Amino acid sequence: MRRVSMTSNSRRHPFSSLGEISETRYWVYLLLLPSLLLLFLVVAYPTIYGFVISVREMRLTRPGLNGWVGMKHYISMMSDRVFWISLKNTAIWVAAAVMIEMTLGFIAAVALNRNLPGTRLFGVLILLPYFLPNVVAGHMWALLLDPRLGVINDILVRLGFLSSYKAWFADPNTALAATILVEAWHGFPFFALLFLAGLKGIPEDLYKAAAVDGAGSFTKFKLITVPMLKTVITAAVILRVISLVNSPDLLLVLTGGGPGNSTQVLSLYAFQTAYRDFNFGYAGALSVVMFFILMVFATIYIRLSRITKE
Amino acid sequence: MFKSNRSRRLAADILTYVVLCTLAAFCLGPMVWMFLTSLKPEADIVTSQMQYIPTHITFENYVAIWTQSNFPVLITNSLIVTTVTVAICVVTGTLAAYAFSRLVFRGRNNIMLGYLLIRMFPAVMMIIPLYVMMRTVGLVDSRFGLALAYTSFLLPLFVWMLKGFFDAAPKELESAARIDGSTRLGAMVRIVLPLARNGLVASSVFIAIAAWNEFIFALMLTTGQGSRTWPVGLQLMVGEFQLPWGVLAAGGILSILPVMLLFAVVQRAMVQGLTAGAIKG
Repeated sequence: MRRVSMTSNSRRHPFSSLGEISETRYWVYLLLLPSLLLLFLVVAYPTIYGFVISVREMRLTRPGLNGWVGMKHYISMMSDRVFWISLKNTAIWVAAAVMIEMTLGFIAAVALNRNLPGTRLFGVLILLPYFLPNVVAGHMWALLLDPRLGVINDILVRLGFLSSYKAWFADPNTALAATILVEAWHGFPFFALLFLAGLKGIPEDLYKAAAVDGAGSFTKFKLITVPMLKTVITAAVILRVISLVNSPDLLLVLTGGGPGNSTQVLSLYAFQTAYRDFNFGYAGALSVVMFFILMVFATIYIRLSRITKE
Repeated sequence: MFKSNRSRRLAADILTYVVLCTLAAFCLGPMVWMFLTSLKPEADIVTSQMQYIPTHITFENYVAIWTQSNFPVLITNSLIVTTVTVAICVVTGTLAAYAFSRLVFRGRNNIMLGYLLIRMFPAVMMIIPLYVMMRTVGLVDSRFGLALAYTSFLLPLFVWMLKGFFDAAPKELESAARIDGSTRLGAMVRIVLPLARNGLVASSVFIAIAAWNEFIFALMLTTGQGSRTWPVGLQLMVGEFQLPWGVLAAGGILSILPVMLLFAVVQRAMVQGLTAGAIKG
């Protein structure tokens, strides 16, 4: 493995000493060091610090209040009505959005996977919403569903489904459902993308063999497609749930949690507690709870999907 | 039998196109409506009689957002933050992705899993400590500080995506270069990086779009003109000045223009990388 001939040549090269280091066993550490250092600074340290903040009093508006308070924030959370509402709304919001997005994504993937002419163009068009910024997507739908000039209201009235324009985001009964619709529009291409990749990975022979054995399309779907897609489904659901639980963007733009907490979710509540009330300690505790909920969900979900496989 | 098979196939094809057209309309409809709105004068938007096709086409909304607000400053800030984020990710992430893809070392799987787990951390959980830290070192309201904060979730993503592209690049050429006396560094720079060039571009574009669109970190970490990015600026304009719908729509169209362009350029490679990275994850 030793280089002999090139050594004298490459000495003049400015990178020659780096080139030599690249032959030693320190090379891999040199490659990893920059990113590890960076991630330590912007992820590991802040995470630990986040746990510390959650057991301290930290309000930027009142610098005098500062110090160790132990589990105080966690205890007051138990009697915080908004926390429980947010928890319930988070569950509804995430479960409904994932279900709708998965269904739409699966339909889109199956249709795209038939590889008819023009599929590539359709693929690009269907993927577009996923890359649209939350801020633009939010305001766009606010305009579409506006109580005075919303085009969706107009269409629904013309078709006779509604008697008059409806203020979708201002009515506590429809606000959460309306935000779920926007989220589904924004997020379903993610599932379409992953399911399509999964479908392309299923060998055609399996279906042919099943057809020879006399299997109908439903049997093929149940016994080939679903089991073969299991890994993809599990991965997609986990990734999507994580990002849905974590990102308050869309709700912040659309409703700000209102009306009357009817669309308040944990991530938004934590963000507002920090951003609006400057109560960092309590916001920190809320996000730590979110983190643990996600961990528990991911563990249970992965366990369950493994068990059903066997 | 043969005939019924063929007509069944035809029915399935028609159904497929119906589904695809419906979905495409669902995806594009809102965007088309926003575009049409941006071309209407305000009087035609705020009207009792809904106008489906604009009767007067005007560009005044675009002129208004560009000249009567600080939109150009916001766009410039976003451009700088995005560029810095991509630069940091490319420099540090490429090295890490290469190491994960080509070298065998102790703790490799654990470190890779760690890069993946970072995705599970709630953004809010990172934002609060990052804000306090950045305030201490004077990086709040700084474009560089914001870019650093973005790397917390974009760098791991970049590494995973790029690793997929490196894995796909054939190893034989690299071995040949090594046998010819090239150093590991030489083989990496001259053989592997050019081979994975498309992947590098696709991963960078993905990171760039995410940084360009990011809202919640920017809202918390920017407080003034100096570093405010366009999503935050646009959102605040809506809140503070009751931005007219047409102007808001024009701002939305202008700000998604770069995303559409980048997406169109690298859409195929990016889709490959996204799915590869996600499935292995």
